[in-house]
Amino acid sequence: MSILKKLKGNLFLIIVILAYIVMFIARPEMGVASVKNSAYYIKEMLMIMPVIFILTALLDLWLPKEKVIRFLGKEAGVKGIVFSFVLGSVSAGPVYAAFPMCVMLHKKGASIRNIVIILSSWAVIKIPMLINEAKFLGPKFMAIRWVLTVIAIIIFSWITSKMVKDSDLPEDTPVQAGLSLNRDACMGCGLCTKQYPELFEMEGKKASIKQGTLPDVAKLMQAIDTCPVKAISKNL
Amino acid sequence: MDVFTIAIWVGTLIFLFISLVKDKEKTKKALKMALGMGRGMVVSILSIVFAIGLILTILPPEEIARFVSEQSVLLATVVAALFGTITLVPAFIAFPLVGTLVGAGVSVVPAVAFLTTLTMVGVVTFPLEKKEFGVKFTVVRNGLSFVFAIVIALVMGVVI
Repeated sequence: MSILKKLKGNLFLIIVILAYIVMFIARPEMGVASVKNSAYYIKEMLMIMPVIFILTALLDLWLPKEKVIRFLGKEAGVKGIVFSFVLGSVSAGPVYAAFPMCVMLHKKGASIRNIVIILSSWAVIKIPMLINEAKFLGPKFMAIRWVLTVIAIIIFSWITSKMVKDSDLPEDTPVQAGLSLNRDACMGCGLCTKQYPELFEMEGKKASIKQGTLPDVAKLMQAIDTCPVKAISKNL
Repeated sequence: MDVFTIAIWVGTLIFLFISLVKDKEKTKKALKMALGMGRGMVVSILSIVFAIGLILTILPPEEIARFVSEQSVLLATVVAALFGTITLVPAFIAFPLVGTLVGAGVSVVPAVAFLTTLTMVGVVTFPLEKKEFGVKFTVVRNGLSFVFAIVIALVMGVVI
């Protein structure tokens, strides 16, 4: 990775560091106060962050997604809605990781309405996050916001399904021949590189495919299965 | 440590233990995944936290609370919702931040609007979403999410 690329990737960090340098020169006492303010948040996060990541990963791996996915079609009704909420609430990864997965679900027959539910619940009602919300804003606040959000999602997913038809979604993008890795979906968890280090490597924050390796199908299938956001696909 | 932190740790450790007994490989995979996700986010999280520390020194929460209380609730809520759509702060930093602001006296209505649009509406992720789902779907979903975020916030203001 070139230095320029590295700088660009960490642009925000550099701006923050520069701001602190300016602050410490101009108003040292405010610089100290800023560090103290930040320390409070870092302390709070260190207590909760590891456990949120572990819980998210456990939920993601233990929920039988394949069984759930079968019930997301138009005829699934209430069951489909409930399963969509569950799927969104327990999945790992940022919301952009949900986009390719939802496209895949749509191709497999999931309705527009259920896709909106999955995307929205993926974004706002993650279970570990609810506990975090209760911690800082109180259980009553969390519970009310959760109920209202679920109701809102039920209503606007219905509106979306009335306004957007299946044909409004882009046609299948031509499938790339061979092995491909969707870098927009990758969240850099590095599981594929650990599963199959001969074929996958980390390039910056995302995984990439090493060129010139002839993949071993069994090992490759395992890596494809492992990827929590289904970013790896193959057409051999 | 407060009761919620303890509860989530105990719950997760029990889950982890059961998982380990049932399937050692799967558990190892989960831990690797957690580590990978954490490592991928650590730099951006630290920069955001230090940025928040700096901003709260220049603009103390009490000042923000006073400023917000001088505005009409609806205006404050819409501005907070707009602010939520353009910022990219992970939710687990947003909760303590909003906690600080509400503790300093900021009304819950704009706070809720900010929290909801922060995660549900994405200007930054808009191009990605458009590429996968098309313009119409993306505009409708984000637009409705924005409107409903404000509705949720206003209803919360009445209920709480």
